[in-house]
Amino acid sequence: MISESRFRPTAILKWVFLIAVGLYFFLPMAAMARFGFQSVPTALLTPEKLFTGWSISGLTTAITDPRMVAGMRTSLALVVLAILLNLALLVPLAIVTEVRSPRLRPYLTALTLLPWVIPPIALVVGVSATFRATVPWFLASVFSLVPFYALWAMPFTYRALDAGLQAINARTLYEASRSMGASFWTIIFKVLLPNMRASMIAASTLTAAMVLGEFAFASLLLKNTLPTEMVIYQAKNPRGGLAFAIFIMVLTAVSIGLVVRSLRRQGISFNATGI
Amino acid sequence: MATVDMAGIRKTFGSSVALEDFSLSIASGELVCLLGPSGCGKTTALRILAGFERPDAGTVVVEGRDLSNDPPEKRQFGMVFQDYSLFPNMTARQNIDFGLKVQKRSSAERKEIIDRMIEVTALQEHADKFPHQMSGGQKQRVALARAIATSPKVLLLDEPLSALDAKVRETLRDEIRRLQLEIGVTTVFVTHDQHEALAIADRVGVMSAGRLEQLAPPRELYENPVNAFVASFIGTVNKMAAVGVEDGRWRVLGRSIPGNTASTIGAADIAAVRPEQLAVDPAEDGSGVVESVSFLGPITRVIIDDRDHGRLFADIISADAAGLFPAQRVRPRLRDDVSDVVLIGPDLT
Amino acid sequence: MRAMFRRENRLGLFVLIPFAAFVFLFLVYPTLVVLWKAITPHGAMGTSALVKALSGTYRTGFIQSIALSGWSALIGGIIGLMLALVIKSLKRPKWLHPSLDSWSAVASQLGGVGLAFAFIALIGTQGILTKVFNNLGINLADYGITAVGFWGQVTVYLYFQIPLMFLVMMPAVMGLKNSWREAAAIMGASPARYWWSVGIPLLTPSTLGGMLLLFINAFTAYATVYVLNPSGALVPLQIRFLLQGNVITGEEDLAYAIVAWVILLLLTGLGLITVMQRRTLRWSSQ
Repeated sequence: MISESRFRPTAILKWVFLIAVGLYFFLPMAAMARFGFQSVPTALLTPEKLFTGWSISGLTTAITDPRMVAGMRTSLALVVLAILLNLALLVPLAIVTEVRSPRLRPYLTALTLLPWVIPPIALVVGVSATFRATVPWFLASVFSLVPFYALWAMPFTYRALDAGLQAINARTLYEASRSMGASFWTIIFKVLLPNMRASMIAASTLTAAMVLGEFAFASLLLKNTLPTEMVIYQAKNPRGGLAFAIFIMVLTAVSIGLVVRSLRRQGISFNATGI
Repeated sequence: MATVDMAGIRKTFGSSVALEDFSLSIASGELVCLLGPSGCGKTTALRILAGFERPDAGTVVVEGRDLSNDPPEKRQFGMVFQDYSLFPNMTARQNIDFGLKVQKRSSAERKEIIDRMIEVTALQEHADKFPHQMSGGQKQRVALARAIATSPKVLLLDEPLSALDAKVRETLRDEIRRLQLEIGVTTVFVTHDQHEALAIADRVGVMSAGRLEQLAPPRELYENPVNAFVASFIGTVNKMAAVGVEDGRWRVLGRSIPGNTASTIGAADIAAVRPEQLAVDPAEDGSGVVESVSFLGPITRVIIDDRDHGRLFADIISADAAGLFPAQRVRPRLRDDVSDVVLIGPDLT
Repeated sequence: MRAMFRRENRLGLFVLIPFAAFVFLFLVYPTLVVLWKAITPHGAMGTSALVKALSGTYRTGFIQSIALSGWSALIGGIIGLMLALVIKSLKRPKWLHPSLDSWSAVASQLGGVGLAFAFIALIGTQGILTKVFNNLGINLADYGITAVGFWGQVTVYLYFQIPLMFLVMMPAVMGLKNSWREAAAIMGASPARYWWSVGIPLLTPSTLGGMLLLFINAFTAYATVYVLNPSGALVPLQIRFLLQGNVITGEEDLAYAIVAWVILLLLTGLGLITVMQRRTLRWSSQ
């Protein structure tokens, strides 16, 4: 509106607010990093000692702890399987909806919101009641988590795929390729899928982040995944536990951040919350 | 009513100069159009007048009062925006009521004004609809009603018709003019469409790259453009080489004819010749070849590829154009009834 | 032509059926079983389990959970909304808006175990902020600023609530056209007047929807409370308690009843959100 000067009083207030919020988000992470990477206990911390005792030993011991390693391996396997299952179910669906039956789209968007209504703590009760009674061998394996993780990744996966397809105007692409004589499968593999790479990567990254952080379902079904092992480890070894936690968080943050940026550059935008 | 005097306005955004020493004086009740291509500064000038931008230099005086430091809220203007800018959570009636409520008028007075506005803009059927239920033309009429309901000192319109269909544009354009004349409100109308400007304005200010090239009534702009830019922007023009012959006379298209600038023998200049000022004769040794003949009803437009003058446009009364056809060799000349030419200086565009 | 059409239908079904079966088997069916069991305690139809699930400690649990979710939704909602409004109005620096977009996408996913750890490191008994304030002579615990107390937990929840609200509100806030503000101004309205008559009414449905979303999000959070306050009276923890079989005989069906209530709560929340969405959609199709 009226030409803004950066020094008008309201502008200053806005910046104060932003800095306050920024501090709120920065401090816990800083505290965690300090706790995890500095071997000086809080009680003994003085301004002079602020820069002493920094090392990544906490992180290295955590990474080499056998239980943690097992947890990492399990969780990575779960990530891969969940992503594969998720994409296998949703990619065909997203393509068919966009290209053949756009009328399905509102129903699908609503359907994929269903996992939100039945969160992990609710579903675990149902799963116990049904699967434990009828097919106990299924729940005994840690991989029984996979279908459920795929389910909870559905909302943002479907939206990401759908947004990606809409961004490339898949319908028009399909019909144009069709009119040039391409067969159905050729179009899928040579035209649509390559163009969906960005949204598939986005969906996979978010799924991975979700799986690596999912605690409730795994813990309540007494499985040993990375998050559950982290909690156990942290009780034994607080410093290492925190160092590892911040390591995972940074990894997750960086990958999601990269994905979001690259999506934006390609002009794809979708609301990760699903609303 | 309100007179408007903008003097010496200068405005830069970062490193680009949007307005350079822009001055404009508008008489009370006059409708002035600011016309020009995008980026010429016309919208910036309007926004400075409205108070949404502060100029780097210059003053804005309305009714004798210097408003340069007043925010938009204090200026008592009315404005119509290109995207209608109707409040989506209010009906047409409530939108019109908004300004009146701010002015703290009594509810009886407000009702009377709103009813009159609705009648005057023929919105009876739509008065209680929300913007998302209305078409573009209806929305713009509501916007217009809303802008004039508060009896503004000056009415500002920022490309109000650009988002509308051609047919709606014409009707609405005439409605705006009719209302404006009826109320007598001083009006500034920004547009990039010369037909709009020529059709309804008392005076048109043609702008280019931050400068006001010419401010004159439509006819004057058409018949006596001051430079090549104005000549090309308004209507179609043939830019023809002119050579000074003797004092005040120039040789154009083989004919010696008075021009509107002093000439020295041998001086080179460009004459702006309108299509309707050209005649076309079939001739075996003519310098031109007919490119196309387009029947436009009363007029036929003949486009000629001329060896000496390049592409020429001639508007001929259809009856006289009957014998012309593409690829025909012709000799273009000035019509006999053309008594003088307008010189516009060397072509810098 | 008709044959091709039918083939396309078959293809759609071919893709939809496995998907629907999957969703049914792993989501719908267990839920239906739970709901059924909730209304048939001890094998017979009745509401005794449902009633019991809302009494005593469970009643406290629900109230606490609602309070925790409600406060974090309200406070997080307001701050998130303010953040969105501030970002929209600040044109410079240019990297501010895109960075916040990326950050909110990331931060809204960062709940869970790590977050709890971080706040323990900050305001826990050995937390660094606690120590800093101790040195200044202030005991944070006296003000309820601990990691395990109610307000401490609200503070922790804000960490993912604020970004989520920001994410949800950005589209609505960006949709507030500057030309509305200008139109109001030229008609003499002050900024306050504009917000009162136009801005707030337009933003209210999205804001309410956003806060509802935050509420739903917080209600079902598990990992954070598990780490911070494992013995607290909150619904997710009580469900865990019941699941691990620590029940007096006769109360096994309680878990189903509690879950049934939770699902009902969430469904209501989502339903309200949809209503809000429709209202916003109506006004935004300008």
